[in-house]
Amino acid sequence: MIGRRQLFGAAAVSFAAAKMIHGELAEAAEAVAKSASSAQAADSMDKLARVAPRGMDGRLVRLGTLDLEGQQDFTMAFRKLQSATIREASMNALDRLLEAEGIDPATPMSPDELRVLIAKDPAINIASKTWLTNQQITWKTLQDHFHANADRYLSEMQAADKAGPGALVLSPDMKIPDYTRHEIHIQPGGYVGDPFAGHMYLYGTNSFYMGGRGHNDQDQIHRAAAAKMPVPADGKVRRILDMGCGAGQFSAALKERFPDAEVWGVDVGGPMVRYAHMRASKLGIGANYAQKLAEETGFPDGHFDIVTSYIMHHEVTGAQTLAIIDEAKRVTRPGGVYYPLDFVSGGRKMPSHQLYGRWWDHRWNNEVWSFEYHAVPFNEEIGKRGFSEVKNAVAVLPGFGIRHFVRNA
Amino acid sequence: MAAADNRPTYTADAIPSDIKNSLFLGNPALDNLMSCVIAMGAEVWATKRRLHVMQSVMAKHGITPQMIETYVPTAEEAKAWEADRDRFVDLTFGPLANESYRPVGSNFPGKK
Repeated sequence: MIGRRQLFGAAAVSFAAAKMIHGELAEAAEAVAKSASSAQAADSMDKLARVAPRGMDGRLVRLGTLDLEGQQDFTMAFRKLQSATIREASMNALDRLLEAEGIDPATPMSPDELRVLIAKDPAINIASKTWLTNQQITWKTLQDHFHANADRYLSEMQAADKAGPGALVLSPDMKIPDYTRHEIHIQPGGYVGDPFAGHMYLYGTNSFYMGGRGHNDQDQIHRAAAAKMPVPADGKVRRILDMGCGAGQFSAALKERFPDAEVWGVDVGGPMVRYAHMRASKLGIGANYAQKLAEETGFPDGHFDIVTSYIMHHEVTGAQTLAIIDEAKRVTRPGGVYYPLDFVSGGRKMPSHQLYGRWWDHRWNNEVWSFEYHAVPFNEEIGKRGFSEVKNAVAVLPGFGIRHFVRNA
Repeated sequence: MAAADNRPTYTADAIPSDIKNSLFLGNPALDNLMSCVIAMGAEVWATKRRLHVMQSVMAKHGITPQMIETYVPTAEEAKAWEADRDRFVDLTFGPLANESYRPVGSNFPGKK
């Protein structure tokens, strides 16, 4: 791995050098497009990575400009500050408000009761306002950069579409369901509407993770989760499906852990799977990606030994969550593992502190379907659909719901 | 983005969020000013971080502070810096144009 300091020192590129690099980039992209074998393609992809203007930081392509890197560095730091102090201050303000209203903080509230209450108090809302403004800046600075350099980034993706070692399947004529078209996390264009949705998602979520789980710039969190993924009792792991794969980090991490398995990541977003595939190819990871709905993957019955998803279910409607579980049942082989990784779920009525964060994240961070997710008795529904829950299972990601199921024979 | 217009994007229409019209602080002016302050923080830190990089790089190549102080930009540089300044002002003060009329307590105006 190249040291950060070494890369930092190499950041100053003259205009002439930048022009030369862009020329090499186009040449490398052309070579990738013409590559006959995956070995040639991998070599060309390696060249692509080498001539990227600001280099790599381990497995992370450094952002295109030093300014953008600095802006994202700020939004990460602000998110840390939010978690460390601002959120607590807002909770304290909520306590004072509850006391003034004569409400016991332990009493469960409904979202409607909470909405009316918090609208009265700017001291609470400043935490939400500043968090969301920070979120907007995270997205805007990323989107502005990728769109200002659209041809460069689109040509890079176009060349990578045909590269190996993994495959990419796009479905440009696929009907995109309305429920998937929302700008989740207020990401401009959401997962389907911006050609750089995958780029933005990867860098933007690196910032999210700093709010509570630490660094993920080297996929640390995805790799830790993949390392704990349970395997079928017979030990056979030939094929793995990652539903709603986003920028493809979890699929890639699973492929790294199970190098002999055929790994597929599927996502509704064409730009998401394009980016996921390009990124995995650059890293030499042979995960495959396809633009497909999780509820309609098109794979054969009983095809997979492990079916999983990484924080997808809270982004889909309650009805689709059930349809996706049905699809998981269809494509998981008897004895295969089903582990949909997502937040601990349950309930829409809860004490005010807990509800406060959940409600405004739903309403203003545009987690449109999160309340539906929490209304579904997730483990119970999986149990009704041809799976048996493993008792005393280990959490793949600490703090998230434990959902280790085995497909019934 | 003329050349980019001819490249496939595999996108579909998104349903936009209404975050730009959110009102959290009871007064649109306060909301917008807070947006400006956070954006300013991002720009200031990015600049300060760049200065750290520049100091390190210059020190290794014999560039003195005096050479920086007396530098006169070319016409091309002046034009580029002006464009960057306008981008800076748009990022930091652009939110002053937000209308901010949806109260924080309002529910979704309708969703599909």
